[in-house]
Amino acid sequence: MKKLYTNRSYLRVSLFLLFFSLLSNSITAESFFDAGESSLSLIAESDEISTGETILVGLKFELNPGWHTYWENPGDAGAGASVVWELPPGFKASEILWPGPTKIPVEPLMTYGYEDEALLLTKITSPRTISYPVNIGAKVSWFTCKDVCLPQEGEVSIKLYQGLKSENQSTSLLREMERTVPTDLSSPHRVSILDNKIFLQFEREEAQQISSAYFFPAEYGFISYVANQKLERNDRSFSLELTPAEVQVKTLNLKGVLKLNSDGDSEYYNLDLPLGDKADQSPLGLNLITALLFAFLGGLILNAMPCVFPILSIKILGFIEQSQGSREKMMQHGFVFSAGVLTTFLIVAGLLLFLRSTGDSIGWGYQMQSPLIISLLIYLFVAVGIVFMGNLVLGGQLAKFGVLAQGQRDLAGSFLTGALAVVVASPCTAPFMGPALGMAFLQPGLGSLFIFLALGIGFSLPYLTLSIFPQLLSKLPKPGEWMETLKQIMAFPMWGSALWLTWVLSSQVELQSVFAVLIGALLVAAGLWLLEKTQNSQGLSRSFALFISVILLAFSLWLIPTSYKASPAEIEGNEYAFSAERLENLRLNQRAVFLNFTADWCITCKVNEAIALNRESVKKILADKNIVYLKADWTRKDPEIALMLARYGRTGVPLYLLFPSQGEPIILPELLTEDMLVGFITEIN
Amino acid sequence: MRYLFTALISLCVSFVQASVITDAEAPDFSLVDSFGKTVSLSDFSGSTVVLEWTNHDCPFVAKHYKTGNMQSTQEYAKEGGAIWLTIISSAPGTQGYVLPDTANELTTSRNALPQHVLFDPEGDVGLMYGAKTTPHMYVIDASGILRYQGAIDDAGGRGFNFKNLLEADNYVKNALKEIQSNQVVTTKVSKPYGCSVKYKVTGSRMKRDTINSAAVVATITAEDIQRSPALTTADALRL
Repeated sequence: MKKLYTNRSYLRVSLFLLFFSLLSNSITAESFFDAGESSLSLIAESDEISTGETILVGLKFELNPGWHTYWENPGDAGAGASVVWELPPGFKASEILWPGPTKIPVEPLMTYGYEDEALLLTKITSPRTISYPVNIGAKVSWFTCKDVCLPQEGEVSIKLYQGLKSENQSTSLLREMERTVPTDLSSPHRVSILDNKIFLQFEREEAQQISSAYFFPAEYGFISYVANQKLERNDRSFSLELTPAEVQVKTLNLKGVLKLNSDGDSEYYNLDLPLGDKADQSPLGLNLITALLFAFLGGLILNAMPCVFPILSIKILGFIEQSQGSREKMMQHGFVFSAGVLTTFLIVAGLLLFLRSTGDSIGWGYQMQSPLIISLLIYLFVAVGIVFMGNLVLGGQLAKFGVLAQGQRDLAGSFLTGALAVVVASPCTAPFMGPALGMAFLQPGLGSLFIFLALGIGFSLPYLTLSIFPQLLSKLPKPGEWMETLKQIMAFPMWGSALWLTWVLSSQVELQSVFAVLIGALLVAAGLWLLEKTQNSQGLSRSFALFISVILLAFSLWLIPTSYKASPAEIEGNEYAFSAERLENLRLNQRAVFLNFTADWCITCKVNEAIALNRESVKKILADKNIVYLKADWTRKDPEIALMLARYGRTGVPLYLLFPSQGEPIILPELLTEDMLVGFITEIN
Repeated sequence: MRYLFTALISLCVSFVQASVITDAEAPDFSLVDSFGKTVSLSDFSGSTVVLEWTNHDCPFVAKHYKTGNMQSTQEYAKEGGAIWLTIISSAPGTQGYVLPDTANELTTSRNALPQHVLFDPEGDVGLMYGAKTTPHMYVIDASGILRYQGAIDDAGGRGFNFKNLLEADNYVKNALKEIQSNQVVTTKVSKPYGCSVKYKVTGSRMKRDTINSAAVVATITAEDIQRSPALTTADALRL
């Protein structure tokens, strides 16, 4: 404030000159301008300026509590300040040097700016000849916002005198602020786009010290402003996972400012990374209509899957029986069936979300990762096959599942059939659902919901069509003996599915556990046979059969394995799982080794693998040079791997070690590129 | 299969991160206009429709009306037979929220030419379209396909106050012109500029935002699973 008065007195002195100023039509203003909710002042690092010199000046905005003004890129709304300099001839002003901004969320939007105070710096360069005093004027327009925005405009000016640069009240403030202006980042960093996520990755010593990080995009239409940015810290690197913007604009370079917080300090860096050929392919691929079509077709094709078709066919057989009934009732069944399908999709959705929130690492298909679920599905398919093949009429409790009892006519039965169709479909849905649902994730707005519904509609359409246009039923074969034959034939795809699931299981558990499940399946079969054999009996023999069946079933459940088998020793070709002993042996035999410390949850590792390690050129050179590739999987924290990491001063992954056939290993950077990797490997002996 | 999972998440996120895609069908909506009549987008199928998000007290909007730039754009649309729907998503108690009479008064006093001024106090339509600023413009062609979204013109950004809007490149007029002559719209998307839309702030929306952040984490894990060599089953499913 003291400075302010000083300037004011300067101006008072120069008030006499005001008339001249007005006559010459030049702008005269004070160094301070009060705009109500904010004030603006112009300050300089020195009151003097020499010829051919650069001086730092600042536009200082002081805002009332709760108000903010904007960064160069304001985010979703607002606009940054703009300034028109009024300088004597020959003087030049730089662009505004914007200090690092802060996030100012305006739910549900995100804006970037400065709260309470902002100091926008500019460098002014003087020419070789100057007539003193120098009048530096600025016509500034800016927005001061809280919940509402005020456009503000003001003119400020200061005078600079002849002399050597000397410090004044503003010098330290300006120079301090200059240090917060983002600088170029010299350490290696890069941007990668994988699976419709954008990863910014940086090499940095002691990256664990970073408490938080944020990337402020400088441009609209590539990175979402409002989405959270996920920080992953490794030992010598860190990465930020960014979400593509909801609306995409073709972007050639990713520009913006990275803010790093550690120990209460903030650092700001300018980033400008070419997006290369990625620029042409916006992260949001298909448009909604195409994606909806995919989802719909996917749903339709689901009906033809071996684990679904039998059930739908049987259901359609039920139709033929019902075709005597009223058309209205059939339509009712059709819609209720569809509702069952859609409801189940949504229930599974909710369940997944719930499980996810409890911290389990799952995805759709998570059920396929659990030996328990797979074993139960094997039993289910074996059992359904046996029911199809035989004459077992499952009444009572099971009848409400609709599928097994052909004749159910109530709406609840139709609903449950719809629901069951989805459950049974789940093991073979992936290949068809994949692409459309990948798009679904990227569809903003209600698009994803539509895609989801399109899938369910496609799935239930054949049934719905038949219920609405029962005349089509005449195109269907007449009921008869063939139905029983068809039902029996349907047992084979069921058993086929069971076989396939057994194969899936074999990749998860030890051989003896697979064998145990096969014995369990045999017991299930025996139990069902017993039930069928006695289904027309009454009294003691029936009760006894039920009792034995339950015991057989219980025993088959007991046989289900729950633990995964150990990771296979040999991964693929020249790839092996890491063990200290294996490494030691290889070293004793003077073999060159590439050692990759990785984990499933490590984003940096996955990106490195995708853009460097798994590239053909790298695989080829590893093979050509007969280098053994060892993979140390840190997903489940293994003490042997921990020891090895500690030897190289690491507490976690990634870590890449390249052992020449003799001598010490080369520690590779944490951010790998294909070229770099090939380079390193080429150079070793 | 992770796709389904991610789809489900996006379903939850969609309420926060809603937006519409250019060259895709514009979602239908129904809102009550300043004369109490319920108006749907689908009522105008067969006509080009311009959507204008507004808040008369927003200085950006004010400048567009004061300079006659908005009215001239409306006139241009009207001459070409397009329907102009002005939408107010300001929640009650926030800037720009007006009662029907005031809305009509504003139309008269500013010589504005909207066919309807629509009220979206819950913000549902605004969020569905991803309207972020006032003004934020959308141009939908006669077959209901969104052809343009973004700013009204290229005068946005810093120094807006200094700019002469009548000299700016008017994206909405350009789009209308190109649609009329059956040409592909050159500028399909631009950065909208202006004040933030004064949406209703609700607890539930906050909650959705938390889901959103959880979702980001969740996606990674789901993808990691897919990549994990131990889970060859996931690959097997694709065979």
